[in-house]
Amino acid sequence: MSGLLRSELLKQRTTRTSLWLPAWMAGLILLVVLLHVFSLSFEQIASSDGQLKVVGWGTSIGALFASLLGAMSITAEIRHGTIRPTFLATPRRARVIAAKLRACAITGAAIGLFAQALSAGVEAAGLAVRGIHIELGAGDYVQLLAGGAGAAAMFAAIGVGVGALIRSQVGAVVGLCVWVLLIETTLIGNAPSAGRFAPGASAGAIAGAVQTQSASKLLAPALGVLLLAGYAVAAATAGAIATTSRDVD
Amino acid sequence: MSGPPSSTSIVGVHDDDRQSVLDRPGSDQAPATGPGEPVVSARGLSKRYGDAFALEDVSFALDAGTITGFLGPNGAGKTTTLRLLLGLAQPTAGQALVFARRYEELEHPAHRVGAVLESGDFDPGRSGRNHLRALALATGISYARVEQLLELVELQAAAHRPVRTYSLGMRQRLGLAGALLGDPELLLLDEPANGLDPAGVHWLRGFLCQFAASGRTVLISSHVLAEVAQTVEQVLIIDRGRLIATVRLDELADGASSLEDRYLELTTRDRP
Repeated sequence: MSGLLRSELLKQRTTRTSLWLPAWMAGLILLVVLLHVFSLSFEQIASSDGQLKVVGWGTSIGALFASLLGAMSITAEIRHGTIRPTFLATPRRARVIAAKLRACAITGAAIGLFAQALSAGVEAAGLAVRGIHIELGAGDYVQLLAGGAGAAAMFAAIGVGVGALIRSQVGAVVGLCVWVLLIETTLIGNAPSAGRFAPGASAGAIAGAVQTQSASKLLAPALGVLLLAGYAVAAATAGAIATTSRDVD
Repeated sequence: MSGPPSSTSIVGVHDDDRQSVLDRPGSDQAPATGPGEPVVSARGLSKRYGDAFALEDVSFALDAGTITGFLGPNGAGKTTTLRLLLGLAQPTAGQALVFARRYEELEHPAHRVGAVLESGDFDPGRSGRNHLRALALATGISYARVEQLLELVELQAAAHRPVRTYSLGMRQRLGLAGALLGDPELLLLDEPANGLDPAGVHWLRGFLCQFAASGRTVLISSHVLAEVAQTVEQVLIIDRGRLIATVRLDELADGASSLEDRYLELTTRDRP
């Protein structure tokens, strides 16, 4: 493992905000999944499709928090000024961005895995309490866990790019939350023919489900991987170009 | 700072001492500057923000082994000059070179140049030790070296604490430790005495003199003349983005007091 990557991983685990992220995420997943499991009618949640839609909240929330982690890996450094010693140590700034991308992809995948496992576990527990049979099979869970982890890794890269472009911590966090929770949900709900090409819906295509949507309205998994990888590369490239060309205050 | 630490010999002139205390992974590279070539040089350096010049046509050169003060009122362009020298910002015109290259072209910058820009460049939740370790990992420097520097700046006892619990003086010392990680040949310090108590200022002065005595170079910016007058050999006086004088202290009749007259005369004229 390169020194730069180890440096980024050390920064990640010694920043208070990034330590709080998984806790916030776990709380949010617990709340949202339990709310759905206990408020939906028997018909809505007894089917495999209905159960996938609920566990799909793990996909979008995991992806969101992975992107927040990615964004904050840069915006926190800008906010506290540590970006200056970071760039003095590594003046070729694209190398710093590349190390952040790798570090955040690793941690982002772990966040996605955790989010998906938690939402699946909470849903299963909720269904058991209601006495409803779990219709999801091993294949569903494998795709949810592997796809959720992979999608979150790519969302972390999107977050690094967005953070490098926007630079403001609050701006990046609010922007990413509004996009994933509001705009994406509206798009896929009201204009699914266009909405399924959005980043969050692509994450859903990879994992097999995303908030309120299951496979029927989503792209094929392989297409989702390609599309989301495209978004990640575009965001990371834009962020790297902005970072190398702009002055540091 | 409680007093001058015993370990100031870390930059002593004796090669044997230095070799035993310092690891210098970068020292095997060929020197980028030939003999007599300036360690720092600014040539026609300008930086414009919108319509306003933060810096206009500034030129100077610093030789190896010198301590130079960079004096000017707040907002005169001192920090801008340092940022340009360190590649954090790009000049509108002119060149800012260290060891005859742009900073980003240096092979192992941490082993050539150390800089302390502002006392606030820390993550408040990260410990002093982890701040230094993150820099050490990025520059291929050992954790043992981190401990040496914590000892040098007397932060061992506080090293595990988050930086938000540090006093301003402790942050300055942590910043200095970060700058010294790679055992650099050039130190650029922006207002380093801010927040240091008198013993700390005294220690810093002694440290810088030893640093320069071993053939290395220091540029120290300040808006407080008294902080640098006893340490430096020459001063660059900058005001409203322009270099208005270069003064060698040994050429002044009675040193510090006549420097103060010069400084005030130069930086207060033409003001409303």
